[in-house]
Amino acid sequence: MFKLLDGPQTLGRGRTFWSCFLAVLAAALIYPAFADSYDVGNFSYFLIWVFMALGLCLMWGYGGMLSFGQTFFFGISGYAYGVLAINMGGGSTTIAALVLSVIIAMIAAGILGYFMIWGGISGIFFGIVTLSATLVLAFFLGQTAGPEWHIGTARLNGFNGMKGMDPLTVGDFYIEGSALYYVMVALIVVVYIALRMLVNSRIGNVIVATRENPQRAEMLGYDVRKYQLFTFIIGSGLAGLSGALYTSWGQFITPSSIGLPAAAMPIVWVAFSGRSDLTATLVGSFLLLFGFQTITVYSQQAALVLMGTLLLATVMLAPQGFVLGVGKLVVDRWTGRRRRGANPALAESSRLQSDEA
Amino acid sequence: MKSGHLLKAAFLGFVLGTAAFGAALAAEPPLKVGLLEDVSGDLAFMGMPKLHGSQLAVEEINKSGGILGRQIELIHLDPQGDNARYQEFARRLLSRDKVDVLIGGITSASREAVRPIIDRTTTPYFYTNQYEGGVCDASMISMGAVPEQQFSTLIPWMVEKFGKKVYVIAADYNFGQISAEWNRKIMKDLGGEVVGEEFIPLGVSQFAQTIQNIQKAKPDWLLTINVGAAQDSFFEQAAAAKLNLPMGSSIKIMLGFEHKRFKPPALNNMHATANWFEEIDTPEANDFKKRWRAKFPDELYINDMGYNAYNALYMYKALVEKAKSTKLEDMRKVIATGDACIDAPEGKVCIDPKSQHTSHRMRLISVGPQHEVTVEKDYGTIKPYWLGDIGCDLTKKNPKDQYTPSHLPNKS
Amino acid sequence: MSAELFSVFYQFADVFAFLILSAAGLAIVFGMMGVINMAHGEFIMCGAYVTVGLVKLGVPLAIAQALAAVTAGLIGVAVEYLIVRRLYKRPLDSLLATWGLSLIVTQSMLLIVGSSITGIGTPEGSFAIGGYTFSTYRLVLFACAVAVLIGLYVTFMKTRFGVMARATMQNAAMAKALGARTGRIYAISFGIGAGLAGLCGALYAPTMTLIPTMGATFVVESFVTVVVGGANVLLGTAPAAVFLAMIRMALNASYGQIIGQIGMLFAVILIIRVLPEGLSSVLVRRGR
Repeated sequence: MFKLLDGPQTLGRGRTFWSCFLAVLAAALIYPAFADSYDVGNFSYFLIWVFMALGLCLMWGYGGMLSFGQTFFFGISGYAYGVLAINMGGGSTTIAALVLSVIIAMIAAGILGYFMIWGGISGIFFGIVTLSATLVLAFFLGQTAGPEWHIGTARLNGFNGMKGMDPLTVGDFYIEGSALYYVMVALIVVVYIALRMLVNSRIGNVIVATRENPQRAEMLGYDVRKYQLFTFIIGSGLAGLSGALYTSWGQFITPSSIGLPAAAMPIVWVAFSGRSDLTATLVGSFLLLFGFQTITVYSQQAALVLMGTLLLATVMLAPQGFVLGVGKLVVDRWTGRRRRGANPALAESSRLQSDEA
Repeated sequence: MKSGHLLKAAFLGFVLGTAAFGAALAAEPPLKVGLLEDVSGDLAFMGMPKLHGSQLAVEEINKSGGILGRQIELIHLDPQGDNARYQEFARRLLSRDKVDVLIGGITSASREAVRPIIDRTTTPYFYTNQYEGGVCDASMISMGAVPEQQFSTLIPWMVEKFGKKVYVIAADYNFGQISAEWNRKIMKDLGGEVVGEEFIPLGVSQFAQTIQNIQKAKPDWLLTINVGAAQDSFFEQAAAAKLNLPMGSSIKIMLGFEHKRFKPPALNNMHATANWFEEIDTPEANDFKKRWRAKFPDELYINDMGYNAYNALYMYKALVEKAKSTKLEDMRKVIATGDACIDAPEGKVCIDPKSQHTSHRMRLISVGPQHEVTVEKDYGTIKPYWLGDIGCDLTKKNPKDQYTPSHLPNKS
Repeated sequence: MSAELFSVFYQFADVFAFLILSAAGLAIVFGMMGVINMAHGEFIMCGAYVTVGLVKLGVPLAIAQALAAVTAGLIGVAVEYLIVRRLYKRPLDSLLATWGLSLIVTQSMLLIVGSSITGIGTPEGSFAIGGYTFSTYRLVLFACAVAVLIGLYVTFMKTRFGVMARATMQNAAMAKALGARTGRIYAISFGIGAGLAGLCGALYAPTMTLIPTMGATFVVESFVTVVVGGANVLLGTAPAAVFLAMIRMALNASYGQIIGQIGMLFAVILIIRVLPEGLSSVLVRRGR
């Protein structure tokens, strides 16, 4: 089973990569011992958003489906968590609320995905339909300010947003601060490993084959629609996980987390990082979230100009994505020096080779 | 520890060459004031004056010796109109910078984003906008006007002057819907009739259909509580279609200075009640405007939000000095005495102990064809009584909820 | 009754003009090059700001508007040359690049020009039918929208450039082999697209609040129109605008703006479900 961790669909393999992985993980685990509590909290906040980016990376980079709908499922799940946590009375039931809200997001993804994929929608139109759905949800929730809009005792409360739900709790213990941080790190590791194994498995190969050429994949006897729907549900479910965690983190969610420009953000993170690889997305999204926040704190009004420039420069200078581009450069140098031009471990050429190799 | 501190202070004073003064300053660490205002994004044109008002107040207070002898350090972050950023930055200011007080927020959504965070700390929070009212929360002190101060004055006046039929154009979110609710309630008490209510999604900029709906309903006057730059296009389009109806509002002129941004006569015949607008002509107000214009000569308009942001710092100063403490609980003891007052440019304003909202000197203004502003009526000081009347009493209980005419506290 | 009828026409014309004017530029860029121009709203803003600036200098409104459209067009050519040209093989990256550009432009405008500028007022003129009064300028907008469509028809169907452009759109490599200078055609098309966006901003400038982010109010509608229309500007965008204008107008009139907006987006989802490549795919096929 663990041999699926390394494969043609993911960059980084072998001892060097996994040693680095463990080193980063170890650093992440002891980080709270050195940092102040604010930084630990802030880092776990960034990690909340990374699931959404990983989900989009799976759908877009591996599956070839550009979804503008990550915030749609983020919102469904975020609101679902709020409604469930309020109605079930908080406490340990918040864990159940988290799980249920992700499942609700996945069911919604199943319905929307079935509608689109069996309808033959692809390419940029896939993006537009998901964007339309997202905007409809944002508009709808925005006008639910009146007291008549409630589910159980939870008021949707329109544009001002829903609040008053408990954060994740076990017994009387609120999961926040370093506890939340460790939960987030654990979740990220689990999701990352699971996604790696997924894309390197037989299913993953079909997903990538469908991206490369749907007709050919179909001719080989695969019902590509089922694979696409599966990818869409998993990717959207990860957005749902982000949504529920976000609501729990801030005890608050508003429609503006769903509509534009929020809906464009996951695409920016993933495109910046390098959409064709999970590791690049993981690292890049985190760096970008951190970078944007830091820029906003220190440069005040120039922040948006700097962010725009960063994006533009990435696209013009590092077409594969910033992190992926830099990563490849470093690795090529590294292996080039050691092996004198022997087949580089991370080169593009290895990516389309079959799993058996 | 203490003596080391003094020694360092004395040394610093010596170096600066302002021995006595410098020592006093450095002996106490500065008071940290966290400010969250949008100076980029859609709301920048409103957020800018708020930042300026805070900067002016901080400069003045620091020049006159600070608060309890401590200088103020203003830490401003720009959330770019994004609620998630409001939450990030509120947390940053509270746990990283460890601010003594948090001020800011423009939209009600941004205030609601900050409240769950501030409620779990013991730091006071000043919200400096006029808003739809109803927040009953011990951590929050509201400096702006609320519906009972604005609508209870404006609507009866409009009904008396123009007639009993009103048509409402409101932004389709909490502020608009709750304000419309207030209007229905007051119109019912007055025996008037709401002949039409239209809720407009935020960001909509085209109003041909709305203008015709209005003409069909034939109201005597309009209540315009449309929000944001896009929706403000209504005025230009209504003027071009010669709608020519008297208008009333709780947010136009003093907040978004539409009479400065649109070419006359788009805002002709607009009426509003406000605690502040730049055209107020009293010695105190003129003096304030002069100081503002000296520091920010390019300001298009000194709006109500900017003015309230300025007052918030003076109110904070007054509370801290009376409480001789920067702790929220000590400050609330001062508020509970009902003696938390400052002499603001509009006149004397005080914090109401029950709701922690501010009393205001309300004036009704009208706009003429050349966009000249005249004061029609001076209502004197009006207290924020509604929350107290419906049973919010923060001296006894802290429900942290927001009430509206259709969502009242449970009587228990 | 005639007043009611006219009122319905007027409302339809108003929404139609808004959709056509805001979408035409985007549609050309998308149809010709498959590029989704996220900075579309900023070209609109540019048109509006230039118009207002010129009018304040004393230039008559109509001339200012024409100059504004030309300015936006020239900037468009420059943007094509510097950025978009390098990304034709990567349409999604061009989306990202133009989005970055849009962030830079809006915020720079805010820093340079300030958060808001004073409007110039809609040209005088109104008329009354029945109990209703109407602004004449809104009909001018409708006339302009129709003129834009006619102008595009003539440009793309009756001129040599049009033939080349359509050939490039069908098969760029083949067109190039036959001697069409595709690079130049792309640049001109992008310029026309940007110029039309500028024209939209110029025409709506007198009726709107002027802030650096004003382009955003046009963006959703223009994207929706283009998507429903599909890749063909003439056979797609125009019928899409008619269709969406009718839905929007009917819902606006009977249920209010919020339902109008939600209904329009729903219509989009349904249309794409039925016609995954937009209205033009059907119309073009019928035409053959």
